[in-house]
Formats: sequence, C-alpha cells, structure tokens
Amino acid sequence: MEISHSVKERTIAENSLVILLQGLYGQVTTVDLRDESTATGRVTNVDAFMNVRLAEVTFTDRQGTVSQLAELFVTGRSVRYVHIPDEVDIRATIEQQLQLIHRIRYFGGRDKGRKEFPRAKQK
Amino acid sequence: GDAMSFLKRFPPPAEGVRHQQPDTEAVLAGRSLGSGTLYIAESRLTWLENSGVGFSLDYPTISLHAISRDVSAYPWEHLYVMVNAKFEEEETKEAPVAEGEEEEEDSDDDAEPISEFRFVPSDKSALEAMFSAMCECQALHPDPDDEDSDNDYEGEEYDVEAHELEQGDIPSFYTYEEGLSHLTAEGQATLERLEGMLAQSVSSQYNMAGVRTEDSIREFEDGMEVDIAPVVAGQFEDAEVDH
Repeated sequence: MEISHSVKERTIAENSLVILLQGLYGQVTTVDLRDESTATGRVTNVDAFMNVRLAEVTFTDRQGTVSQLAELFVTGRSVRYVHIPDEVDIRATIEQQLQLIHRIRYFGGRDKGRKEFPRAKQK
Repeated sequence: GDAMSFLKRFPPPAEGVRHQQPDTEAVLAGRSLGSGTLYIAESRLTWLENSGVGFSLDYPTISLHAISRDVSAYPWEHLYVMVNAKFEEEETKEAPVAEGEEEEEDSDDDAEPISEFRFVPSDKSALEAMFSAMCECQALHPDPDDEDSDNDYEGEEYDVEAHELEQGDIPSFYTYEEGLSHLTAEGQATLERLEGMLAQSVSSQYNMAGVRTEDSIREFEDGMEVDIAPVVAGQFEDAEVDH
C-alpha cells in the first residue's frame, strides 16, 4: 500500500494508530462494524480517517446473513474494531510504517527533505 | 408501480461529478425504483430515473459501499450502498434526504436505522470505476464528530532542518507586516535606502536601469548620488574607492 501523497494524511497516520492499520496491507483481517455486522477480507487500503478498503470479503450482516463481496469500503466512522491478526508483530509493523514515512520526508538527505510538520500544532 | 414518496424531481449535479453511469437500476430494500443514471459527485450521490425523479444520498450518511458479484446473494452484479438512515416508502415523511438521525425507537429495534441500496448497472464492467469513484468521494467527507483523533495539523509547514538546528519556525518568506516587525535597526535603514532608490527611479523618466543620461545626472547634482545597480557585474571593481 502506497504511503499517502498528502502531507496532512502522513502526519495524522504518524501520530495515531492508523499507522498500524496501514501496516496490515495485504493481510486478511476482520473488521467489526458499529452496526454489529462484520467483514473479513484482505486489506487493500487504510487512510488517515480510518476508512478501510478490503478485497475478497466475507460479509456477515447484523442479522447473520453471509455474503461475498468483491470489494468493500467501510467508512472510518462505521468501524468499531479491527482484529489484528495474531501473527502480526505490532511493534515491528509500526516501526516499518514510520520508516516508510520518514523515507519520503527525508528523501535526498535530512537537510533536503520535503518540508513537513512531524508534530501536531500545540492547542 | 408504487410511487416512492421520497423520490423528487431535480436536476442532476452540475459539478464535481467523478463518475456517471447511465442505464442503472436502483433497488431499495429489494424493491426496484426503475432505471436511470447514477451520478457519483463529490458533494453527494445522486440517482435520477429516466423520467427525472430520484434521490440523493449524503456521504456522511453512507456507512459502507461494496461491489457484489455474489449471484447467490443477489442475482445481478451491483454496487451495494448501506445508508445510516431509514427510507420508508409507505410513510408520508418530509424531505427524506438522509440526515442520519435516528428513528423513534421501536421496542424490539434499538439498533441504528439502516437502508440498503443496490445500483445495478447494465454495464457490469463499470462496477470497478463506480466503486473507486465512491471511495474517492467518501474520503472527501471525513467524520467531523471524530472526538478521538487530534487532527489539528493546520498551520504553516516548517523547515525540518531549521527545526533540527533549534531555530524554531522559520517561514521561507514574510508578509509585509510580519517582515517589518522582524527588521533590525540596520535592516530598517537598508529598507529605507532601497525604497528611496526605487521611488526615485520610478519617478524619473530619464533614468534607465544602470545607465545615466545627461538629464538624470543634472537631476542628482544637488542631492546625494544614488547608484543604480551596475549593468555589468564587476563594472566598478577597478574604480577608485576614495572619494
């Protein structure tokens, strides 16, 4: 999964656990929705707003009816829970995603990188 | 067929239309609303039957959307859209363009209201494009009520290098007012001198950049001589310094 081209989205990801979800790219994951339905599929994208895109999905609606969906986009506000697969090393995944972001930020050397704001503005 | 009370006549969206799919059937909770055109616009999702009546859905009310190719679940491949609102065809409700507000609670239904739409294009190969267009438009409407995240990253970008040298925020340029307040006394004097030179060169018709005509020399006889930037770099390098 590509790191976002948006400076703002990279910063949001870097400062929240969305960065962990982004590291699940390609993994089969189960997402519980707020309305009690669940979706299990391969993660193809997670953006800074926690919108999740899955492929080859088994979808169980809140009545328990199961169906297959070729592709599914769940809005971040509808996500209640994302099951991190057991085999995922959470810390290593976060560090790997941070490295990808820093590679973009510091491309060309530390003093030649894109101008970005790694920290949130103090309120 | 039965008229759905929430269908209204209105023009299709004029701008921000990321994808448009004609010959698309709309189905609500298993009931067909007819055939028309689906407009996936940045502001809202709109479907208009060929007769001109239809409805719109606001992205914040859409919980999810999907491509379904599972004909055992539904006989035709379609774009599935789950909306966080109730669309009742029998009730005479006012303007049901979904606002996501909950219905009055039924005793046996304390769950969120949900409506299921299916958009069945006659051209199945368009489903990917329809799905992607919706993903893009949904991303334009992040949840404003998201209390958990501190996404306040507005403000000026700052130079990472300057920050690391602990010089704090150094913008690459100032607005006029900001800049004035940052000038040292020496900077202020330089600014005044330069502005003076600029004012004189603008007001004098005879003073071409770097070149002095007879007229312009006469003009400066009484006052301080003002050197416009030399035309040729290093032109005055061998000039005598002592005046």
